[in-house]
Amino acid sequence: MIPDFLLRALVASVTISTLLGLLSPLINVKGLAFLTHAIFHALLFGAVLGMILGLLLNNLSLVMLTAALVTVSIVVVIAELEHLGFSPDSSVGIVASFVAGLTVLGFGILYKVMEGRPYYPLGENIVSYLTGELFLVSLRNLETLSIAGFLILLFLLVFYRDFLYVSFDPEGVESYGGNTRAYLLVLYVIVGATGSLIVQSVGLVTLQVIAILPGAIAMMITENLRKVVLASLGITLTVQVVSIGVAYYTAIPPSGIATVLLGVIYGFLLARR
Amino acid sequence: MEAVKAENLTVTYRGYVALSDVTFSLEEGTTLLLLGPNGAGKTTLLKTIAGIHREYAGRVLVFGKEPWRARENISYVPQSHTLNESVPLTALEVVAMGALYRSGFLHRKIPEEIEEKGTRALEFVGLPGIQDKLFRNLSGGQKQRVLLARALISEPKLLLLDEPLSALDPSARAEVTGVLRKIKEKRGLTMIITTHDINPLLEIGDRVMLINRRMVAFGRPDEALKDEIIKAVYGPMARAIKVEDKLYCITGDFHVFKRGGGR
Repeated sequence: MIPDFLLRALVASVTISTLLGLLSPLINVKGLAFLTHAIFHALLFGAVLGMILGLLLNNLSLVMLTAALVTVSIVVVIAELEHLGFSPDSSVGIVASFVAGLTVLGFGILYKVMEGRPYYPLGENIVSYLTGELFLVSLRNLETLSIAGFLILLFLLVFYRDFLYVSFDPEGVESYGGNTRAYLLVLYVIVGATGSLIVQSVGLVTLQVIAILPGAIAMMITENLRKVVLASLGITLTVQVVSIGVAYYTAIPPSGIATVLLGVIYGFLLARR
Repeated sequence: MEAVKAENLTVTYRGYVALSDVTFSLEEGTTLLLLGPNGAGKTTLLKTIAGIHREYAGRVLVFGKEPWRARENISYVPQSHTLNESVPLTALEVVAMGALYRSGFLHRKIPEEIEEKGTRALEFVGLPGIQDKLFRNLSGGQKQRVLLARALISEPKLLLLDEPLSALDPSARAEVTGVLRKIKEKRGLTMIITTHDINPLLEIGDRVMLINRRMVAFGRPDEALKDEIIKAVYGPMARAIKVEDKLYCITGDFHVFKRGGGR
């Protein structure tokens, strides 16, 4: 008999793996690793801001919504800076460092607010944004994850070829009548929305690893695009399921196990080259 | 009919003047070779005519319309080194790009009709049976020809080519030049080609423009490629010579015998 929490964690893993498995090759070929770094800062800042609002308004469901809104807004700002002619590195660097400063400020305010409301388990919640709490996924979380995950997946599938073309030759797309700016904006919003949706399950630190390594590993195994995507999906799902199984018996956080597994696979393939 | 007409065109790039005072007109079906040293503004002018770069004063019209309104008539071929080859696209997928963006916003699948057109375009540029090969695994000359096929698939009236011969070995240059000649002869397209090394392309050039942040000369090759003009653009070592009735430019931007060494 599989415990309910384990079953919920496994179902959540399928959604997470599908989204990140598909996104990971794009993140690699478009060079968005640094953008995912900025998204972490945005998510943490959004979560802190959401908790402050949630506490003040007695509605903790605001946390996820605020985190998502803040992240998507910040991603849009980065896309606009790039459109204005800043290099992707500069755009991300400027925004991420500013947001990191705001997060520190937010923590200061959050602690002040928490002092007046000692009965909320807020310390645990904010920590869950860093480490992930896959075993604490509730039925309601699962519903949100599935519905929003399905919508993001739909957008991702519909625009996948366009994202590849924009990564390959943005000026070519533009000159043949495509709207490069709109495609990039949609891609950035998808990356931000995916991060907001799954951050509490996998944690900020692991999110970057799971978003990047499966695609990087798949591209080391094969050159064919279809096979790259399938390999990335397979690797993400396998690593997620194995890490949940190991975590169940060892009580080590599954996100940490997934990170180590992916790192070992990548290191092994690198050494064989 | 005039394919391209520019009047007092001054192009700025992030507030800086990249190119000024360009006035010319190009008849439909003619080939213009755009010549100038590095940083002269060749690519900027090409992108302005392509409708990609819109920061300019003065007037530029393509088939009587502003460039971005005439996009269905224009195909732009960028320098191949600007492409992100880590994206694992096949030759056919690259070619299909040229036709997909002429219709709609979503392109989940490549329609069969575009696949057929793409295959025919690849055959036209001398690359039959290459459809499923990865673009990044092709040779430099093959990549350039795939990009030409991509430009042709949308059946444009104006072809803009940015340094199509750069970083190619002599045999690949000959292949690409052969395809350009074929496009000129069989399709009769208007072409604007930027180049460092004009000599391989002189045979197909009807007009030559020399620029160096401004238009220095424009006209037939024998009118524009005069010693004093070439020296004004490339410096005192540059010159034009005639060998057996063929005109050659020695600009220092390509391999040439020069006393005291140098490129």
